[in-house]
Amino acid sequence: MATVRIDHLNKAYGTARVLSDISLSIEDGEFVVLVGPSGCGKSTLLRMIAGLDAATSGDILIGGKLVNALAPADRKIAMVFQSYALYPHMDVRKNMTFGLKFTGVAQVERDRRVAEAARMLRLEELLGRYPRDLSGGQRQRVAIGRAIVREPDVFLFDEPLSNLDAALRVSTRVEIARLHRLLGATMIYVTHDQIEAMTLADRIVVMSHGRIAQVGKPLELYYSPVDLFVAGFIGSPAMNFFPAEVESVENGKARITGGSIAGFFLPAGPFKPGARLTIGVRPEHLAPSASGAFATTGMVELVERLGEASYAHVRRADDKLTVAEIRGRQTPSPGEVVKLSAPAEDIHVFDAENRRVEIRA
Amino acid sequence: MLNQRVQTFGVHVVLIAYSALAVGPILLVVMNSFKARNAIFGAPLAPPNAATFSLVGYAKVFGASHIGTYFTNSLIVTLVSMFLVLLFGAMAAWALTEYRFRGSTALALFLSIGIMVPIRLGSVAILTMMREAGLNDTLTALILVYVAQGLPMSIFILSEFIQQIPKDLRDAARCDGVPETRIFFEVIAPLLRPAIATVAVFTIVPIWNDLWFPLILTSSDSTHTITLGVQQFLGQYITDWNAVLAALSMAILPVVAIYVIFSRQLISGLTAGAVK
Amino acid sequence: MAEPLSQVVASMPRARFVGLMGLFLGPAVAVYTAFSIYPLIATMGLATYTNDSAGGYHFVGLTNFVTLLTDSLWSKPFWNAAKNNLIFFCVHMLVQNPIGIALAGLLSLPGLKLKSLYRTIIFLPTMLSVVIVGFSWNLILSPLWGVAEGALKAVGLGSLFAPWLGLPSTALVTLALISVWQFVGIPLMLIYAALLNIPDELVDAARVDGLGHLVLPTIGLVSILTFVGNFNAFDLIYSVKGALAGPNFASDILGTFFYRTFFGNQLQLGNPTMGAAVATVMFFIILAGVCLYLFIVQRRLRRYAF
Repeated sequence: MATVRIDHLNKAYGTARVLSDISLSIEDGEFVVLVGPSGCGKSTLLRMIAGLDAATSGDILIGGKLVNALAPADRKIAMVFQSYALYPHMDVRKNMTFGLKFTGVAQVERDRRVAEAARMLRLEELLGRYPRDLSGGQRQRVAIGRAIVREPDVFLFDEPLSNLDAALRVSTRVEIARLHRLLGATMIYVTHDQIEAMTLADRIVVMSHGRIAQVGKPLELYYSPVDLFVAGFIGSPAMNFFPAEVESVENGKARITGGSIAGFFLPAGPFKPGARLTIGVRPEHLAPSASGAFATTGMVELVERLGEASYAHVRRADDKLTVAEIRGRQTPSPGEVVKLSAPAEDIHVFDAENRRVEIRA
Repeated sequence: MLNQRVQTFGVHVVLIAYSALAVGPILLVVMNSFKARNAIFGAPLAPPNAATFSLVGYAKVFGASHIGTYFTNSLIVTLVSMFLVLLFGAMAAWALTEYRFRGSTALALFLSIGIMVPIRLGSVAILTMMREAGLNDTLTALILVYVAQGLPMSIFILSEFIQQIPKDLRDAARCDGVPETRIFFEVIAPLLRPAIATVAVFTIVPIWNDLWFPLILTSSDSTHTITLGVQQFLGQYITDWNAVLAALSMAILPVVAIYVIFSRQLISGLTAGAVK
Repeated sequence: MAEPLSQVVASMPRARFVGLMGLFLGPAVAVYTAFSIYPLIATMGLATYTNDSAGGYHFVGLTNFVTLLTDSLWSKPFWNAAKNNLIFFCVHMLVQNPIGIALAGLLSLPGLKLKSLYRTIIFLPTMLSVVIVGFSWNLILSPLWGVAEGALKAVGLGSLFAPWLGLPSTALVTLALISVWQFVGIPLMLIYAALLNIPDELVDAARVDGLGHLVLPTIGLVSILTFVGNFNAFDLIYSVKGALAGPNFASDILGTFFYRTFFGNQLQLGNPTMGAAVATVMFFIILAGVCLYLFIVQRRLRRYAF
């Protein structure tokens, strides 16, 4: 059973707190992605699960066993590094089997595992080559192969795609997803790229400043971000935010107004008059049309045409830019004044503390 | 444009002149070692020709001294010392860089004292120690002293090289289950090969050319190193110019040969070490 | 930033960690302490003793040092040797280092052809044994052979020639110049490496302020290395002049003085305790020089840090 549980984990370097009270439970065979901006602590958390860095306080349990005091070698984990970390003076085969010798795996078994991993990753031709003769993508596959042969309970990935070029990133991402299906192993994956998170994860852990902002399935995070940070982090291009306030509340309806938006009504629910709010709408939910619960106007400054989708950057009253995704061949032109609107179900509301407000009918 | 040309020409003139000054004396000695005695004095600057060519000096050197033994001794002492300096130095440098423990900084400082303070000053006690240990007049005594002498610099240089090795490698080895000792010997050490040139420059030359410790620690002919051997031969045969020039040339030529072959590595090793 | 203690180390049982450190550090620390540090301390200790003709040792505190510095039997040769060391050092600083700097400057000019050939040739003497160098120059400068005399005559300076190595007034300086000839490669290499390291933008800017500031740290390093290295010049003097460092002790430096005191020669018996005293004094002189260097380097670095 390869479950991972983290209980109230803290890490501080002197007075600098890097991780604060992290608690997380990962199921057997789950693919969990730790995502967040640089410095949020995701790599530190991964290294602690691996056993490369010690926690200041808190517990880590792998397969139900407390591993705090165990060295990485004893935790039944395998890690894939951003820099691949292949041994430069050993060929591919040796790279993959070097560590196995010390875990008491017999030669015959070692050879079998290498052959199996090489087949899975299409490395058969490369077994005799040295890392310096391999391309970035090939090196990454060898690094993954080195992890596979260990037959660990948990795979740990530390930004494995960051050093690859864009096309390779996409294909390797697909490989990793395929591997997960094939092996059914528990995988913990760190990245700063939310697209990788959305496409690979069973569940995503969004981190910020050493804390967990939200844990959930990708679409949960997409549709119900728990605060402004998660809302702005998940989804590309990022969600548009409009400052607003509750003008009045009567007859079970709250009237919401703001500098750049047309006033509209929401079910009164928790709203109080005068409350400051932030309204969030994703670019893909804004369309140039006259009808919609939510509307904002502005002048088109720039249109990025990507083919089937285009992104219009619209300068609005408070001088910020709204980004709207426009499908089809008809696109507005720079200089045009447009009205963008969105349906009620695509409106996100955040209170003055940047937390999500549930809209109750 | 002309000014530039003149400047470059001037620079080359200066460099050629100094190069002649640097290499001239050596050429002179080697050239004349192959000449007969009267040709040495009669026309010192002339290279040997058919009439003046003579190997009488070399014959004397081989006949009257155990130059072969001296050479072998120097070779053994230098190579063994180099090897131990590299091995002990790399292990120590690794331990100090990788495993921070209480007192590791103090230990590093302690080890670096030897860079500045000449070990010769302790010769009185070293000689006593060697006598008491029964190591007087052995190559082992020389090796021990030279290793002690070479360690501080080599640890310093190797620490710098070790810090260049990506940390991910040792993390990966740890995750792989490689024991700490094997991480050093099989992952880190092979990557230190470029450092060998730098350490070699700072270690080999001073050991090979050293006169002091062979003078103090070895008394019998069979343990003399080539530097001491040549020095004593020169002192003995000081009036026999052929023999003297031959001995000098024999001591010069191997060094020059090795230097010319490895000059690129040697100089890059020296500048790499200096840069750090 | 010091890397935090790794989990691997933290999770290792204490005994194993100590064993591991013992394996890695043991050999180096053992050899170094036994043959470098301990002998130094033992020598300093020995200097506080004296031995009588029967071979017994008596503690006498600082008497040996007082004797060395004030009793004319000892102090005259001691101060003579110390003075000669200073002259030796000055000749190096005034001749070797400027030449090294100048050559380094020439060699680091951009676009210079045959750079590595020049470097290889000019560095060659540094590789040779001091014995070889000393003897070769002894022959070349010898009036018997006449090579040096002939060379000077050829440029019309024949009248300048004298048996420099044999004259008390010129022997030391001649030996110093021979040492300079041999070791100019060291400052050459160090300064050359330093010059290579200066980014181009700074070189252009420095043309106004003078390149000196940027290579000053390396010049400081060269100076202290010269200072410490001169104490090893025993090898050269001994090869050319023998332990007596003639003529008439004119080329005696602290190294030869130490050797003679400890081992003795035809003029006096070896005296290990006085020898130890000489070594101790030499140590403190070097220590003073190194501390001065570190102090100056500290202040300079703080001022010119960029």
